[in-house]
Amino acid sequence: MNATELNSRILDAWSRGDGQLLAELYSEAGNSLLDSGLENEGCFYLTQAYILALENGLDTAAALHAELVRHGREE
Amino acid sequence: MLKQLPPTSLEEVIRPIETARGLPNAHYISDAVFEEERDALLFRNWSGIGIAADVPEPGDVKPVNLAGMPLLVVRDHEGCVRVFQNTCRHRGMILVEKQDNLRGTIRCPYHSWCYNLDGSLRATPHVGGPGRNIDSSLKREEFSLFSVRSAVWRDVIFVNVSGDAPEFEDYAAKLMHRWSEHNQPLYHGGTSSGFAFDVACNWKLAVENYCESYHLPWIHPGLNSYSRLEDHYHIEESGYFAGQGTMVYRQIEGDRGERFPDFAGLSEFWNQGAEYIAMFPNVLFAAQRDHGYAIILMPQGPGRTIERNEIYYSFDPAERPDLKSLIDMNAKQWRSVLEEDLFVVEGMQKGRHGLHFDGGKFAPKMDGPTHTFHRWAAEQVEEHRQSLNGT
Repeated sequence: MNATELNSRILDAWSRGDGQLLAELYSEAGNSLLDSGLENEGCFYLTQAYILALENGLDTAAALHAELVRHGREE
Repeated sequence: MLKQLPPTSLEEVIRPIETARGLPNAHYISDAVFEEERDALLFRNWSGIGIAADVPEPGDVKPVNLAGMPLLVVRDHEGCVRVFQNTCRHRGMILVEKQDNLRGTIRCPYHSWCYNLDGSLRATPHVGGPGRNIDSSLKREEFSLFSVRSAVWRDVIFVNVSGDAPEFEDYAAKLMHRWSEHNQPLYHGGTSSGFAFDVACNWKLAVENYCESYHLPWIHPGLNSYSRLEDHYHIEESGYFAGQGTMVYRQIEGDRGERFPDFAGLSEFWNQGAEYIAMFPNVLFAAQRDHGYAIILMPQGPGRTIERNEIYYSFDPAERPDLKSLIDMNAKQWRSVLEEDLFVVEGMQKGRHGLHFDGGKFAPKMDGPTHTFHRWAAEQVEEHRQSLNGT
C-alpha cells in the first residue's frame, strides 16, 4: 500500500470512527517508516496507533508500548 | 459593574418553629444564592448524583452535572463505582460527553491524553514533540484525574465534592441505623421503574414538599382515601434528615391478586409501616415492606430541577417475569402520585417572586420536618459563610 492509499484509508477510518482499523493502519505506517530509517516519523505513527489501541482495549497496545519505549519515546 | 448583594439574613430561619420564618425568596430565585448554596449545601455534604445501575458493567461511564460541576461516573474493571471530575488535566477539556461503555482507556477528545479507569494518567501522546510521549517536566503520577469522594448506598451514588465532609458511613449513620432492617440487596425494577421530571422549581422545594404529610389530603386525595393525615407521623433528625411515616401502608395488588415479595426478615412494624425520608441535601428515599424508591434532585439553576425517580424491589425482576406487569403498574401509580406534586412545587417557585413574601409562617404542629430542613440549610449556609470569613 502506498502512502497516498494509506492516507486515504486512514481518513476513511477516522470518518467512520473505526478505532481498531485506525490502530492497525497507523501501526502499518509507523513500522514502514521505521523500516526506512525514519525514526521520528515512525514513532509519530506508532504513537497514534498506541493511543487508539489503548482507547479500544486492543492487545496490540502492549507491543506498541514496548516499541516506543525501545525508541525512548514512552515510559 | 455587578452589584454585590449583601448576604441574606437567616437568623429568623434558625429560630424555634413557632417564631421562625422560612428561607428568604433569594434562596429560591437568585443566581448568586444558588451558587452559595451549591457550595454550602451540595458540595460540602454528600449529594446524590445518580444510581449505580447507571453503570452496570465494567467500563461503563456516565457524565453527570452537579449544579454546574462536571463529574464522570465510572465502573472500573474491578467492578467498583468511581467518580472523577470530568475534566482533562491538560487543557481542561470535558473528557466524556455521553454515556458509553469503554473498552479501554478514557481518551481526551482534544489532544488524546489517556486515563485508566482508576483515573491514573496512562499516556500523553506527542507531549515532548511529535512521536515523543514523555517530557521531563511531566510526572504522570501527579496528573491523575481529580477523584471525587463517592459512596453508594441504597444504589444511590453520593459525592462529597469539597472532600472534607465526615465519612459517608458517619454522615448517613442515623438513617442507616433507622432503616437497618432494610439493609439488604435492592434490585432496580427496570426500564419502567426509572423516570424523570423536569420541574420549574428550586430543588429545595421538592425536599420541603416531600418531607411533610400536611399536604396529603389536598394534593393526593386518592392516597388519603386509605392513608389519612392522622395515620402519619413526622420524622425529624436535626442536621441529617426529615420526613414522614405512615402506619397504614397498603401493598399494591395486581389483577390476579399478586403482590411483590417482602424484603426478608422485616419486623412487624413494616407490615403496615412505611417511611418517606429526605436525606439532606438532595435525595428522597422511601422504605416499604415490598419495594422502595429513591428520588435524586439534580439542581439545574435556581428555578429548575431534574427529579430522577428510581424504584427498587427485593427480588431480581429478571427472575420474576410473572411480576413484570405489576412492576409496570406500580411505576405508573408512583408516577401519577409524584406528578400530583409538580404543580405545588412549581407554584411555590412562582410564589417566591412575590416581593413581600417573608419566607412563610410554619404551622408548628404540621411543618416540623420542613422547618428541620430549612434550619439545616440555614445553618449550613451560615457555617459556610463563616469558613469563608475565616472565623
